Amino acid sequence: MSELDSIHSESEMKQLADLLLKVGTMLIGSGANTGRARTTVTRIAEAFGYSVELNISQRSIMLTMLDANGSTQFIMVRVIPQHRINFKIISGISRMSWGLVNEKWTINQISEELKRLEDITHLPRWQVLCLVGLAGAGFCALADGSYLDMAFTFIASFIGLFVRQESLKAHFNSYVAVYFSALTASLIAGFASKIGWSDGQKHAYVTSVLFLIPGVPFINSFSDILDGNIMNGISRGATGVLISFAITLDILTTAIIYHF
Amino acid sequence: MNWQLIILFKSIWGGLAALGFAALFNVPIRSFFHIFLFGAIGILIKFTMLHYDTNIVLASLVGAIVIGYLSIPAAHYIHTPPPIFYIPAVIPMVPGIMAYRMILGLITLTGNTKSPTYYIVLADTINAGLKVLFIFISLSVGVIIPMLLLRKESVKDIKVPFIKK
Repeated sequence: MSELDSIHSESEMKQLADLLLKVGTMLIGSGANTGRARTTVTRIAEAFGYSVELNISQRSIMLTMLDANGSTQFIMVRVIPQHRINFKIISGISRMSWGLVNEKWTINQISEELKRLEDITHLPRWQVLCLVGLAGAGFCALADGSYLDMAFTFIASFIGLFVRQESLKAHFNSYVAVYFSALTASLIAGFASKIGWSDGQKHAYVTSVLFLIPGVPFINSFSDILDGNIMNGISRGATGVLISFAITLDILTTAIIYHF
Repeated sequence: MNWQLIILFKSIWGGLAALGFAALFNVPIRSFFHIFLFGAIGILIKFTMLHYDTNIVLASLVGAIVIGYLSIPAAHYIHTPPPIFYIPAVIPMVPGIMAYRMILGLITLTGNTKSPTYYIVLADTINAGLKVLFIFISLSVGVIIPMLLLRKESVKDIKVPFIKK
């Protein structure tokens, strides 16, 4: 190998490591479990003929790049900015990782695809709010609520999610945002029970906060622990417990305000 | 309404609840229909089993396992990883009313111990709390059981009948 070749391959390796870390941080940040991030990053690295060792935590990823002989080339660490659940990114990266193994993508193609995934569109905000409102009404129907209860749950979930989005935009702590959102939702739904529009069973009041349940942290927590990533599982579980605690605190607050 | 119709009605609302979470998690639009279907199937199984007096924990576990299994062929068919189907689809099975009863019970238990209903509330809270705990565990573990039993690192390695690659 000439000297020029080795310089080229080293810069290529650095570029690849950068992309691998980006893939990993995007996956963990948008709510993938640790095993998925590890498999995907390893698969992409192997497609380019390198092998990597990973240390994944909830706030950062550490990557060791190994060359073909298995000797360490360099170690890089990248911080995971903020966790925002976004399954489109997970799905997009999963498709990309299979595409690039089968079709021999170049590094530039990957970096363009990642850029495209980063500013991928959401549903329009009003549609998300309406669908989450429907989810609230669905929870109320599952708990044997009447149509009036369901209507109130729809409104409460709709406004509750709006408050959560706005508090996150105003850079409140995410648990505080959950508390504000749950408080708004249960104050609206509890008002219906309070003035006697509901049959006194408090269906609307109970189910209005259910759109906040931490499903992703809890399910990922168990899959991480079963997979052997116990520390990651515990930290995800702690996130879930804290969100549940914020919702509990809100039920306590509403109970005091309305004397339920 | 007879019980079959009530369960069908509830399944449709369960599917809509799953759809709400799909929107919240920004799921690709091509997988919306399957998430609705799986959410509805989970609720259908859970409430049918509850109608025949099955334990609620077992009913939730069976519902979650079926959703986990269904999401493997769906992952092949729609080209989207299984968690994107099963996470929104199991959330409607979370026992909201029971969690509320537990929280309300815990709040009451921090009050006066001399109250005559204290031990009734204590028993009720423990009952609701343990059910919530075990249902949560069975939902989270139930959806991964199929992947654990099929022993493959990636769904692409699992052969699904009737679906061409």
